[in-house]
Amino acid sequence: MLRLKGGRLYDPEHGVDGLVRDLYVEDGRIVAAPGPEARIDSEIDLSGRVVMAGAIDLHTHIGGGKMNIARALLPEDHRADPVPAAGGMHAGCGHAAPSTWTTGYRYAEMGYTACFEPAMLPTNARHAHLEMGDIPMVDKGAYAMLGSDDFFLRLLASGSDQRLINDYVGWTLDASQAMAIKVVNPGGISAFKFNARNLDLDEAHPHYGVTPRQVIRALARAVHELGVAHPLHVHASNLGIPGNADTTLATMAAAEGLPIHLTHIQFHSYGTEGERGFSSEAERIADAINRMRNVSADVGQILFGQTVTASGDNMSQHRNRRHASPDKWVVMDIECDAGCGVVPFKYKDRNFVNALQWAIGLELFLRVSDPWRIFLTTDHPNGAPFTSYPHLIRLLMDRGFRNAKLDEINAEAAAHSQLRSLEREYSLYEIAVMTRAAPARSLGLSDRGHLGAGAAADIVVYRDDADREAMFEKPEYVFKDGQLVVRDGRVVKAVNGALHAVKPEYDKGIEKPLKDYFDRYMTVKMEHIRVSDDEICACGASKLIPHACKGRAA
Amino acid sequence: MSDSCCPFCGLVCDDLRVAADASGARAGSPACARAARLFAAPARATPRLAGQPVEPAAACRAAAALLARAQRPLIGGLACDVTGHRAALALAERTGGVVEHMNGAAQFRNWLTFQDGGWMTTTLSEVRNRADLIVLAGTDASRFPRFFERCLAPESQFGELHRRLVVLGSGLFPEAAHSVAADLVIPLPSVRLGELCGALRARLAGRRLDADTVAGVPMVQVDALLEMLRAARYGVLVWNAAELDFPHADLAIQAMVDLVKDLNQTTRWSGLPLGGNDGDTSASQVCTWQAGYPLRTAFEASGPRYEPLLFGTARLLEAREVDALLWISALDPERVPPAAACPRIVLGRPDMVFADPPDVFIPVAVPGVHHAGFLHRMDGVMALPLQGHAPAELPSVAQALAAIQQEMNHVAT
Repeated sequence: MLRLKGGRLYDPEHGVDGLVRDLYVEDGRIVAAPGPEARIDSEIDLSGRVVMAGAIDLHTHIGGGKMNIARALLPEDHRADPVPAAGGMHAGCGHAAPSTWTTGYRYAEMGYTACFEPAMLPTNARHAHLEMGDIPMVDKGAYAMLGSDDFFLRLLASGSDQRLINDYVGWTLDASQAMAIKVVNPGGISAFKFNARNLDLDEAHPHYGVTPRQVIRALARAVHELGVAHPLHVHASNLGIPGNADTTLATMAAAEGLPIHLTHIQFHSYGTEGERGFSSEAERIADAINRMRNVSADVGQILFGQTVTASGDNMSQHRNRRHASPDKWVVMDIECDAGCGVVPFKYKDRNFVNALQWAIGLELFLRVSDPWRIFLTTDHPNGAPFTSYPHLIRLLMDRGFRNAKLDEINAEAAAHSQLRSLEREYSLYEIAVMTRAAPARSLGLSDRGHLGAGAAADIVVYRDDADREAMFEKPEYVFKDGQLVVRDGRVVKAVNGALHAVKPEYDKGIEKPLKDYFDRYMTVKMEHIRVSDDEICACGASKLIPHACKGRAA
Repeated sequence: MSDSCCPFCGLVCDDLRVAADASGARAGSPACARAARLFAAPARATPRLAGQPVEPAAACRAAAALLARAQRPLIGGLACDVTGHRAALALAERTGGVVEHMNGAAQFRNWLTFQDGGWMTTTLSEVRNRADLIVLAGTDASRFPRFFERCLAPESQFGELHRRLVVLGSGLFPEAAHSVAADLVIPLPSVRLGELCGALRARLAGRRLDADTVAGVPMVQVDALLEMLRAARYGVLVWNAAELDFPHADLAIQAMVDLVKDLNQTTRWSGLPLGGNDGDTSASQVCTWQAGYPLRTAFEASGPRYEPLLFGTARLLEAREVDALLWISALDPERVPPAAACPRIVLGRPDMVFADPPDVFIPVAVPGVHHAGFLHRMDGVMALPLQGHAPAELPSVAQALAAIQQEMNHVAT
């Protein structure tokens, strides 16, 4: 048994806010304080240290076809950050689109112990699991993308019973070994294949006649009725378009009170005011989130510098191609399933639009009052690489630092933003909520994201440092399932992570029409889309962690 | 077993009926002739050193000794499944080797284009359901025997598609390969495809071209072709980089993909790069996710180094920049290693025959015949499950590479 002695614990799941307590670890789990007769094999003195559960990133593009496109597209970016093999760790590369090995090491070195890929195409699921299988150190999971796939749109357009839609959603989760369902530009990826360049929330799809609102409603209901813990994960219509805040608010309403998660909401909080026709609607969006208890969001903060945007939203990415820097981009239509678009971006602090995007993201963080419903993300790599999280945490925790940065950005954007007037500084407790307890709760990971007895011993120890960026950049210790894997911000032991997937109950009868559809129209068999439980370890994960779902009555 | 997946071309057809008994596996209908030939793989063979039979352990020891002595081995060929590719990359990392696929020359015509400007592409089921105009540029897809049957059947989920087929090139016979007739054939040498596509782009942009012909094609025909392209609702431009075998073919491909991009200003078009034979799509995918680069990568002390223009197999061997060749070729016995001045180790199909025996030959099991595995289709999206039909008394590529690495632990350094 290991005793972690005298650390200051931040464990929001149990309301623990900086209390000094000992933690005990045995067989990979946190255990209750044993009696005096228990044998303590080793002990680490953590007095003065900050102790949290392992961090969980619920929206990070770490693996899957579009990330491999991004990697292949950017040799010049990798060249600046080569990673040699060392001490049981594989060679690779870092920065905007890091190699799988390096992704795992660098997440662990920041104290992350689980990462969720939010945009896995069911047809690309086996590939995504193979890629994620080579991401070491952290546990992984993925959200299956639906809503622009032709089978679903056919069901919806033909007025199918919700139960049939639920069965199809259940089958998709099961067959692609997914943790949740994401919808990206609802119906819009499909509409782009019919040459539409835009699809508003209440606009009829050019072929199917259904609207994005109907797509959201049907999927949100399916996810809810199947009992999937994470709400429907929505990348809303009109990404990046000035004035899209109205669409975003209408999208929240489209869930009709059912749980809904709006992702990278920074990219969806834009107005049209001012001389340049581009303004912040962060206040209106944040007010709506504060008001609507069924809504959660992650921010998708942008930070300045070179990155690459990789999205299933090929309609928006095709529109954004003119901003590509360097000037190259990839857009793909995929398997009557979805699509993708990869556009390299360089966010510049002197650019009015980029500077305002930066301020809008921070405004959202500071204006949403409940840290349980807003998550810390940069939509890696779309807003910035995940390695910039410690910097982002400092921006949230340190107003002086934030305002100093505000002085450096495009002055017009700074003047337009109300960021300077926002006095809020996040506390360590709130950071622990938004990076640990809340994502675990949102995903239904009952034994992660907290430090209670029975939890997996994913534990991070920081030196308390007034420079929060330095503090969160280099944890002193990271334990993964009870093993010491990182010391002073460096991996000391390479381990493999598990795969989380939900296992909802659904009527397997859906396979009959689905098999007919695949046999008749697709170039692959339905059976070969399915990734079996047995394949997960062959793909590279240490094990499959299945999560049962308790269906909810309609 | 019905609905088996075929690893022998980039289509990875997944509807084969494969029978297996003590004599091995046989692929029946609807397998193509290539699949029928390659599914019949012997289940055993003897390792050899310079043509002389040896025990498997001795072959592994010899391979390990050669690799341990090498400063920079080329881990080449790479015709295997994802598990084999993972093992090959691990060995390259350990030995400071370079990785490159046997189809690298063709692959890099595409990669150079891709890394310079990107592109817009599509996948096989999209083609099957949406394409109303197919342009075959410099290819008749005959290296993918079931391409038309699988991807261009007339019925689609959006109703019957009255597809039109345009062939750009000479000496191409889609009629013979696929029993389909082209609606328009514009004969021209492939080396001039870039010129034609450049002219089409110029005309699309409304520019006047002061020429009677472009690439030997009368201007009036260029304009008529452009009208056809513009009128398509979902056009697909198909090429096969392996068949564009001339200097700077990447620039011809770039002209094609730029034409596709430009056509998307008003309608929908996509490129479809044919390829993926010999597991080359999987090889690039695995190397890209593990190292960041699509092969032609050396594992150096400072990390992976990518040299798309320098790390081609032929150049590395000719310039003697590698001092050992490990050639992995588990799918097609005809893909024997190139001649080389350095020692050669071959992990090859059991029925591989050598005119010039390598230093070490380790026969390996065939993925998708002897053992299960994963293989990407040409579009890179679908990674299909290969089935094991007839067990072999042979190691898989991954097992053979692991055995060599084991032996390397014992080799004095």
